[in-house]
Amino acid sequence: MKINPPQARQREGMVKTVLLTVVMAVITIIMFSKGKIPQNTKELIALILTILFANTLFFLMVHTGKTDRYRAVYFSTFAVMLIISFISHMFGARGSMSLSEAKVLQCEVPFCHLVIPMTLVPMALTKTIIFPGSLIGGYASIASMFVLWIGATLALGRGFCSWGCFYGGLDDGFSRVLKRPVIKKINPKWIYLPFAVLLFVVLTAAAYLSPTYCTWFCPFKAVTEFEAVTSTKILIQTIIFVSLFIGLVIVLPILTKRRTQCAFLCPFGAMQSLTNKINVFDVRIDKEKCVKCKRCIQVCPTLSMSEESLEDGRARITCMKCGKCIDSCPKGAISYHIKGTDVAGNNNAYRLLFLFAAFLFISIFSAHIIQDGIVRVLKLITTGSMIL
Amino acid sequence: MPKIRSILGYMWAGAAVIVVFATFLGSGFFSRTLVAASGVKISPLYTGGEVVRSVDHGSYRALIHRPVFDALIGERKEGFIQVNWEPLAGLPPVIEESIDYTGDGKADFSVRIDTKTGKTMLTHINPQVTSIEESVKLDDGWVVRVQLKKD
Repeated sequence: MKINPPQARQREGMVKTVLLTVVMAVITIIMFSKGKIPQNTKELIALILTILFANTLFFLMVHTGKTDRYRAVYFSTFAVMLIISFISHMFGARGSMSLSEAKVLQCEVPFCHLVIPMTLVPMALTKTIIFPGSLIGGYASIASMFVLWIGATLALGRGFCSWGCFYGGLDDGFSRVLKRPVIKKINPKWIYLPFAVLLFVVLTAAAYLSPTYCTWFCPFKAVTEFEAVTSTKILIQTIIFVSLFIGLVIVLPILTKRRTQCAFLCPFGAMQSLTNKINVFDVRIDKEKCVKCKRCIQVCPTLSMSEESLEDGRARITCMKCGKCIDSCPKGAISYHIKGTDVAGNNNAYRLLFLFAAFLFISIFSAHIIQDGIVRVLKLITTGSMIL
Repeated sequence: MPKIRSILGYMWAGAAVIVVFATFLGSGFFSRTLVAASGVKISPLYTGGEVVRSVDHGSYRALIHRPVFDALIGERKEGFIQVNWEPLAGLPPVIEESIDYTGDGKADFSVRIDTKTGKTMLTHINPQVTSIEESVKLDDGWVVRVQLKKD
């Protein structure tokens, strides 16, 4: 079936776009700079580039009405910059990416949001966190990640997976490498696998009082930190990390054009699907406008659109609010929506409110990391070393 | 009724923007409040548990932690006891320490650590003491974990 290009996109006029971008620019300048102009030239360049980058993308999102295209650029840049910043930070602090026994025993391991689901049951029953990190202070403290998670859940729900997660941009980026998927048919039942992984890691973490997903399954260990290989057990763990990273974050996203790690493995994403109920934003389909061309089903990176979704008028609970289906709908039948309001109501207002919350979240959260990444790249160019 | 729901929806959406600001601007405050209000700590499986005794050796001291058998509910059959020696600068070439973790006045095990090579020897006295779990040089000292089992 031939499908016409999208016609009814929620674009805004130039005056409104400029006004909204000015508001965003003022906020980002204040938030990114923390009210101080850096004295160091590299830091100043990084600050200016980050502000320009963020506001150009925001302008384009508002003016063109396309959300996912520009979000993906931001999201993938965030992920790449995190790796640059994190790895060079680790080399600066420890001399390598590997995690020594000493750092574990000193409880100096950076915490990340993926650990949160595994900590909840032990925290409720023993009042302890089963992770060798720092509660407050230091690099990526446990309490700060919990605050971030609570804020993200309230503001974005599962939208965090497309607007906040500093790993998600990797498979999102790789899923855009090819124009067409090589593997086209994926059984939609795979979307339930993360819920099984979530249940498994929550139960095993509670039983062993150990963050089992981090110890055995996290693909992102391959690009952040992992234990120094000193035993067969650690060698097996390292092989699993690298295999999952290559398979689920690079190869399968390229071949399927789906975010396979996020859609078929991540237990944190599964938890966010469950907590998403308390979030006000969702993605809805106007059944009056929908012509059932199924383009949304074809493009959804997480298989969150199905024929049942089109019948129900809403995306599945695994929807990450990336906006790809909205961008691709030829009839403008899919839109961001505010719970309690009319689906066929003021879609532009719904989208702008979501965009403001989501864009602010990713821009503020990523600002320091992107700036640090730029500074380290500039340092690499000028001195041959990324270590500050 | 639909109008009230719609107004509440818009208010909730507006609040989401405020939540984003609060999350980042108030991160330090909320983090401290969260820790204080919940009373959570890092699991003793990682920290080694509370220090129950300190033995002063002049240039360095030994910090003896409580035996850790913590489980999700109750206690495990296997656990460990951690001993730290600090500061690193004051440590002798060889540390020799007899540990009485039961507090009965009799040593339960003794350890000998060559701080140059890291070679660590354990002498069992109490049958609950099984083996060395870890012997690691830290940024400011040395730590040994000795595996224990319950009767």
